[in-house]
Parts: sequence; structure tokens; C-alpha cells
Amino acid sequence: MMRPGVKPRVAFFDFASCEGCQLQVVNLEESVIDLIDIVNVVSFREAMKEHSDDYDIAFVEGSIMRPMDEERLKNIRNRAKILVALGACACIGGINTLRNRYSVEHVKKVVYGDADMDGNPFFDVFHTKAVGDVVDVDYYVHGCPINRDELAKVVTSLALGKKPEIPNYPVCVECKKKGNVCIFERGGFCLGPVTRAGCGAICPTNGSGCEGCRGLVDNPNTDSELEVLEKYGLRLEDALGKFDIFCYRYKGEISK
Amino acid sequence: MRIIDKKDFIEFVNLLITKDARTVVGVKAKGDKFIYDELASADELRLDFDVTVLSPKKYFMPPTETLLEYDLSSDFKVMSVNEVTPLIIIGIHPYDLIALQQMETVFRDTYPDANHLLKLERSILIGTNMQNVSPHSFAASMGTATTRYGYDLMLTDIGDSYYVELGSDRGEELLERYARVSMPDESHKKRFEAVINGIVGKFQKKLNFPADELPAILAKTYDSDLWANKAEKCLSCGSCNLVCPTCYCFDVQDVTELNLRKGERIRTWDGCLLEDFAKVATGENFREDRASRYRHRFMRKGKFLHERFGFIACVGCGRCASGCLPDIADPVEVYNTLKEEVL
Ligand code: SF4
Ligand code: SF4
Ligand code: SF4
Ligand code: SF4
Ligand code: SF4
Repeated sequence: MMRPGVKPRVAFFDFASCEGCQLQVVNLEESVIDLIDIVNVVSFREAMKEHSDDYDIAFVEGSIMRPMDEERLKNIRNRAKILVALGACACIGGINTLRNRYSVEHVKKVVYGDADMDGNPFFDVFHTKAVGDVVDVDYYVHGCPINRDELAKVVTSLALGKKPEIPNYPVCVECKKKGNVCIFERGGFCLGPVTRAGCGAICPTNGSGCEGCRGLVDNPNTDSELEVLEKYGLRLEDALGKFDIFCYRYKGEISK
Repeated sequence: MRIIDKKDFIEFVNLLITKDARTVVGVKAKGDKFIYDELASADELRLDFDVTVLSPKKYFMPPTETLLEYDLSSDFKVMSVNEVTPLIIIGIHPYDLIALQQMETVFRDTYPDANHLLKLERSILIGTNMQNVSPHSFAASMGTATTRYGYDLMLTDIGDSYYVELGSDRGEELLERYARVSMPDESHKKRFEAVINGIVGKFQKKLNFPADELPAILAKTYDSDLWANKAEKCLSCGSCNLVCPTCYCFDVQDVTELNLRKGERIRTWDGCLLEDFAKVATGENFREDRASRYRHRFMRKGKFLHERFGFIACVGCGRCASGCLPDIADPVEVYNTLKEEVL
């Protein structure tokens, strides 16, 4: 934990991602002032030129795609006292895991055609990994993109030396608190019952089903969720397909 | 008792909205469901609703509420917070009125909860007898299809007018101030009684035994296989808790602002079906498996709270049944099955 009264040194790092999550940090707007008041940001490519390798807390965005990423990530882990995975790409592999259903050769071929990439470490890719597949992660800030309020909560908790509260209940909880009419009752489909809350059920509240961007809760009842999706009219195949976008990595574990 | 003509009723509601200092909320349509929300005009009011998505509990125990604010800057300061918007709520079915009474009993117990009680005290509750009944409701079996208490005014649609029962001085004053009313004659009374007597017959769902047998039935069925069998499909989504008008559990959290100076202590709805509900600081979870959490809700509603407060903490609104996606939360189905097990 951090020493009280000493501003923790914070660094941001990005791997394979759209950098949307770091953008959310920049978008904290006036609160950014508060952020830099309580922590010392020593490295943040999205927002500043300076860089330092001396930090306490590392926020890591993006998925791990190559041996060289693994090397870099392990280095970050070694230097950081606390490592926080930032966003779906980092936490669960996210959108990037979509390509795991194809072979690496196939993916390269589709994207780069016949270009010669032999021996080039930049193109030496493996199946997408989440940050936690490579190193120990202390805390997760889920979502695609992350929710700014939740990030602020995590940063404040860390600065106060507390354990951040990351919900382990499904999106339905926040959805019910909002008094929403369930998407299933409106003819739609929703992964809310198995997806980790924390976003304020933003998708159902705005009329579309949850796509699972925050990943699954610790013990999701995916069998029951599949049955519900089927009961409301999806074929099993399409019900399983619901897990493609963000939760592809879990699909192997979903039985039936 | 009073009679208020339907067109005078519209005027009454509009006067409340425009003239009364309190905020007027009532039942409105949302898609093909109903919700409680602030009324902009009497036209929005839908007293023919079957059930609302959330009960009026949300006004007295908000989904998230600030209990206190603190300041950590120089000398530590704490201020208690009790944000009260006095309300006039129009259109509360008897089962929800009884649920509010139960909540009041709970929040008065041991340490009276000012945040709940003050909101209740400052509000006017206008009930309405059921015109339509949700297919999941079994209020008649719970003795909550009608009520003689718990309201300031109670409206019953008797055709061209509403039959109004007076439940309190505040209710009577409200009528005097804003409504044109008359005294009921014999024909009004007859029509009123016919409506009231017809309500019980509208319920599709029923317990197969008198509700006061419930505590004894549950005492014998703690180890039934039913709990694990049903809970296999439980999503641990807590929907059955969160929509329930008599669920009162909450979690308390301190939310400090990013500047680390100010913050607030909030309370927010919790539910015993959620995985971490009974998890304590050491990491121990007293109800780790779905089945024990699933069982707990039924035990609490039908037995534990009965032991403590003397009432069955289920008013038969059916919201849990309609909110449960795998269809396992229906108390009628569970309790009727258990009754058969102990016959
Ligand atoms: S989680 Fe989403 S928003 Fe964040 S970096 Fe990945 S793709 Fe972008
Ligand atoms: S809309 Fe989705 S998140 Fe909301 S209650 Fe229904 S299933 Fe749960
Ligand atoms: S509702 Fe689902 S998809 Fe939408 S932000 Fe929340 S977790 Fe992500
Ligand atoms: S609503 Fe149904 S699935 Fe959800 S926690 Fe309750 S019993 Fe389980
Ligand atoms: S347990 Fe279900 S039926 Fe009973 S009061 Fe709660 S939501 Fe209504």
C-alpha cells in the first residue's frame, strides 16, 4: 500500500487497444486537476511528453499480442507496486480476442496479404491475451471504454490506501435500481444477468441489451443465461454468439 | 367517505400539481408497463395499471441515498444528510400500502431511521383499489388485495366517479382544499361494495392454503431438495430482491471525491441473492452457494420476519415472479410445492 502523505507515482501504459480508455482519463476534464493533485503522473503518452521508469502504480491499457509485449509488460510489473488493468482489452482481452477464433497465419494473411514479415518482432503475434494472462493484476477497471467515475473511485481508493470496490454483481442490479423495463420484456436480448456491473447499466437504460463489455461476474450462471436467451427466441448458436464481441475468451468455458 | 366526479378528479389532480407545494407523483405508462414518476398533468395518470415496475418504496428508501457528508481537509467534519422531497403519491395499490407499513415497522425498530421516516411523514399517500390485476399477483392469498389502513385517501373507481375513503386528517384537508366532493348515497355505497367484493375473484395466482400456515411449513422444509433444484437456474442477479416492496437490505459505502477532501457516505440497495451479500471482511461467505441464498429469501419473507415482527413479509405483488428471467422466483409456486411436501 501507499505511504500516507506521499503522492503515489503513477504511470500509464498502452498495448493493443484503441486508446479509448486513456482518452477517458484525459476526459476527466476538471477532475484531472484533482487527479494530478493527489497522484504524481510520471508517464502518460496520451497526455504528456515526459516519461519516467520510477512509479508505484501502473495503469495498463490494451491486450497482449506478441512476445515483445510480454517482455515489456513483465518489466512494468517488476517496477510497479500496484498494477491496474484498464479497460476491456486489458482486463479480458476484449474486442481483440475476436481474432482468436482464427489461426495466427490466417489473420496475418487477411490483414497483410503476402508481405514478408519473417523475423520482424512487430509482426510476431500469438493469440490475444489479457494482461492477467501474463502477469499478476492487482485491480481491474472494466469496460469498453472504462467508466470515468469508476476510475476516479479506484484512484481515490488507492491514494487513500484502501482496496477499490469492484462490483461482483451483475448489470441487472444497476438496471433494476434505475427502474428500467427489462430489455427481454421489450423483445430484445441482454447479457446483463452474467455481466459485471459498474457501468450504471448504461446500455439497457438507453434501450439496448448489454453486450458484456465489462466481462463476466466471478461465478456467472452462463447455462441459465443461455436458456433464458433461448427461451426468449434465440437459437442456441445465436445465444452463444452473444458472447462473441467481448466475452469470446470465456466461450470455451461455456458448457452445453 | 366522499364522492368525487371523474371530471372533478382530473381538476383535483391538476390543482395538486399546480398549486400544492409538494411534488405530485403518480402511476404513468412506460411502454406497456407502469412506473411511478412525477406527473406533469392529470392526463398522464393511469389508475387502471396492474402493477408498477418498482414500488413506491423507491421514494422512501431511494436506490441510492446520501446519509452523510464528510470533509477530510483540515479538521475532520461530518454532516448528516436527509434529503426530503415531500410528495403526494397518487395510485398506490393496497398491497404496496401494506408493504410501506411493513417497511415503516422495520425502519422504526431498534434504531429509528430518520432518513426513511421523515420522507414518509412528509408525504401524502393516495391509494387506489385494483382495477386490473397482474397475472403474477397473489395479493388476495396474502390478505393484501384490499386494506383499511395505510393511506391518507383511498380511491375506488365506481364508474362515473371515485368513491373516496378518508384515512387521515391530512387526506381530508387535501380534499377540502382542492376538490369538489359530495357525500355518497346508497347507490354509491352499493357500487363501491360490489367493486370491492369483485377484486378477490380477479386473481389468477393463489396459495393452496391459508398464508398464516407459512411459518410452520417453512420450519419443516429448510432441508427440502426444492431449494437446490430451483436454484440451479438462479442467475444471482438479485432482481427478485430489488423489485420487492418489502426488501429493505442496503449496503453502505464511503465515496471520497477525487480531491480527497470531501466525500459522502451513501447507502444503496442490496439483495440477499447476490453472491457477495453475506461475505464479510475476512473473505468468509456465509451463503456461498446459490441454493442457500435462494432459500434465504423465502425463509425471510415467510418465517424469519414473521418471528421478529409478526407479519409475513410478502404482500403478493408478484414483482419477483415477473422479474425473474429463469422463472424460479414465484413464491406461489414455491410455497404451494412446499405445502405438498409437508402434507
Ligand atoms: S477497452 Fe475498448 S475503449 Fe478501451 S482501449 Fe480497448 S477497445 Fe479501446
Ligand atoms: S435489461 Fe438486461 S440488465 Fe436490465 S434487468 Fe433485463 S437482463 Fe438485467
Ligand atoms: S451495459 Fe453491458 S455492454 Fe453496456 S457498458 Fe455496461 S457492461 Fe458494457
Ligand atoms: S430473480 Fe431469479 S435468477 Fe435472479 S436472483 Fe432472483 S431467483 Fe435468482
Ligand atoms: S416476495 Fe415477491 S411477491 Fe412477495 S412482496 Fe416481494 S416481490 Fe412481491
